Amino acid sequence: MNMLEIKNLHVSVDGKEILKGIDLDIRAGEVHAIMGPNGSGKSTLSYVLSGREGYEVTEGSIRFKGRDLTELNVDERAAAGIFLAFQYPIEIPGVTTMTFLKTALNAQRKARGEAELDAVRFLKLVREKAKPLNVPDEMLKRALNVGFSGGEKKRAEILQMALLEPALAVLDETDSGLDIDALKTVAAGVNALRNPERAMLVITHYQRLLDYIVPDAVHVLSGGRIVKTGGRELAHELEKTGYAAYDADAA
Amino acid sequence: MNDKAAQIFAETYDRERAVLPGAGGWLARRRDAALKSFVEAGLPHRRLEEWKYTDLKQALEKAAFVPAPAHEGAVVLPDTAVASAFAAIDRHVVVFVNGRHRPDLSKAVRLPKGVELHSLNDVLHEQWVKELVERRFDDARQSENVVDLNTALMHDGAALRIRKGVRLDKPLHLLFLAADGGASHTRNLILLEEDADATIFESHIGGAAAFADIVTDVALGDEARLSHVKLQDEGAGAVHLATLRTRLAAKSRLSSFTLTLGCGISRTQNFVLFAGEGAQAHVNGAYALKAAQHADQFCVIDHAVPGCTSHTLFKGVLDGASEGIFQGKVIVRPHAQKTDGRQMTHALLLSRDAAMNAKPELEIYADDVQCAHGSTVGELSREAIFFLRSRGIPEMEARQLLVSAFLDEALDLVPHEAAREALKLLAAGWFADGEGRA
Ligand SMILES: Nc1ncnc2c1ncn2[C@@H]1O[C@H](COP(=O)(O)OP(=O)(O)OP(=O)(O)O)[C@@H](O)[C@H]1O
Ligand SMILES: [Mg+2]
Repeated sequence: MNMLEIKNLHVSVDGKEILKGIDLDIRAGEVHAIMGPNGSGKSTLSYVLSGREGYEVTEGSIRFKGRDLTELNVDERAAAGIFLAFQYPIEIPGVTTMTFLKTALNAQRKARGEAELDAVRFLKLVREKAKPLNVPDEMLKRALNVGFSGGEKKRAEILQMALLEPALAVLDETDSGLDIDALKTVAAGVNALRNPERAMLVITHYQRLLDYIVPDAVHVLSGGRIVKTGGRELAHELEKTGYAAYDADAA
Repeated sequence: MNDKAAQIFAETYDRERAVLPGAGGWLARRRDAALKSFVEAGLPHRRLEEWKYTDLKQALEKAAFVPAPAHEGAVVLPDTAVASAFAAIDRHVVVFVNGRHRPDLSKAVRLPKGVELHSLNDVLHEQWVKELVERRFDDARQSENVVDLNTALMHDGAALRIRKGVRLDKPLHLLFLAADGGASHTRNLILLEEDADATIFESHIGGAAAFADIVTDVALGDEARLSHVKLQDEGAGAVHLATLRTRLAAKSRLSSFTLTLGCGISRTQNFVLFAGEGAQAHVNGAYALKAAQHADQFCVIDHAVPGCTSHTLFKGVLDGASEGIFQGKVIVRPHAQKTDGRQMTHALLLSRDAAMNAKPELEIYADDVQCAHGSTVGELSREAIFFLRSRGIPEMEARQLLVSAFLDEALDLVPHEAAREALKLLAAGWFADGEGRA
């Protein structure tokens, strides 16, 4: 069964149509990559999946695990298993990363009818997830993303994903701003989460990330449409040729 | 006299003059003079600069409070989070009901040697009491005039004197319960002699439509240290008027924190006078208001001598159609070089109908000083709410988290750890159980 089924999706922001008919199916266990020029609508697609307000579906449908996703609000989608690693994670002054993680995990558990974790079990779990991502305790005590470097913010996003164990993870340029070592760490973190029940949608500009997180399919998004779909070799091809051949107007 | 409320107080005074504590002594003469100047000035109203946002005259006229009855029967403390906020902390407790000391409900035993704790009325003959009651701070006349009302009618209060070098072994909790409607006038006196140390909690609770008029006079000797934590949460029909006046001798330290969860109308005044060099005052507070609540925080810090530090931070969240006010003034006298004075206030509006008025001021007459002031008014960040929700945190919980985070910056300044955590819990609970929602 398809985990995610997007049909003829049109999305407008502030009355301006950004996505102009997207079709995309992702099965459980698969990793799909989306590449495409700046402004082509990649982040817009990720926000629509997350349920962000202001992103209006004017036509088409999104089904997640067989269910109409647009019926769920933002936090319901998260509890249902959708996770978005943001291109630009925002800072939350005054809320420590630890408090945030605990509140989020327990809110999701509660929404799913599971027991909340007590402080001790939670701490053990966070440490276990943070270690392979090189996220030190000291960072967990700081306010979420406040004063974090670009790379630290991205690692914090992956830590959230590792902890929340979503069914569908959307990673929006999680590789941008990472040095080589951090890229490997983050990719290893993502790969550790790959399993037959989980799907991923990886948005990136660089084929390099896809050397570490090997995708089952690569899509080119241009001008609000998917203009080409191929295997992992498509990423290498794009690296050489750029997007000229997929110019939105030509497509 | 067209000031009806002032007239009611004057009539009360005429009626009770002969039986008020201290009749026939120095206090009776002081009361006469105080009533006279109170009646001359009248109750403050919005045409006075210092009362620009709070019309006490109108509020008291409307409510026409008569004196609160002496409540002698059994009393059950309200079963609320605020009433039991400090319950888990090992402390001395002195309870006042309708402004009157209730030894039967209090529990202040085995005080350390050098700690004298009495009902004010039992120590009126002592010189230090006379000195504190007669003291004037002349920096904000319009705001201090209301102290005259208190002096004329005060009928009870706590008097704490701690001798040189003595440390109060555990916090002293002064608990004021308004069990019935009506006006009560309380005067607390706190004298910490040289190098003495104390932590005091003051809480004001009760749902009655009461007028609580409280003046707390503090004198800190050289190197004395006082931490004062005040918590206030009274009925929607109540009016709360509290003044804390502190004189700091050299190298003494005051930490004052006020958490106002409000009542109908509250005015919290804080006067700090630096009288000796090297002293420090931390005057902070937080408030969380909803419905039609109105809370005015007024604070005057007088750097009359060199080398003192004053830091003030007030943060508030305003929901419903509530109104928050912060008025503050830092005065740096001509010789008060090396003054470090800071005054900040930040408010968060949770509803379109809520309003905030902030007026921090600096009056600087010395040149070698470090002073800053500022104020901001904002709303919860929609981006932050979205981010939290995208991780599965429901909207209300996300808002609560952000509100708590906002207030915590101020609450973190409460020095007593257990009290700090208790106040944080209250602040978080305020949102959870209230209209703390837009
Ligand atoms: N609120 C808005 N009003 C109008 N246009 C908008 C709004 N938000 C986004 N857009 C436009 O939508 C288009 C797609 O933006 P989006 O962020 O999805 O691009 P992207 O593919 O993620 O680009 P990048 O590679 O630079 O991250 C852009 O042209 C952008 O300017
Ligand atoms: Mg983008």
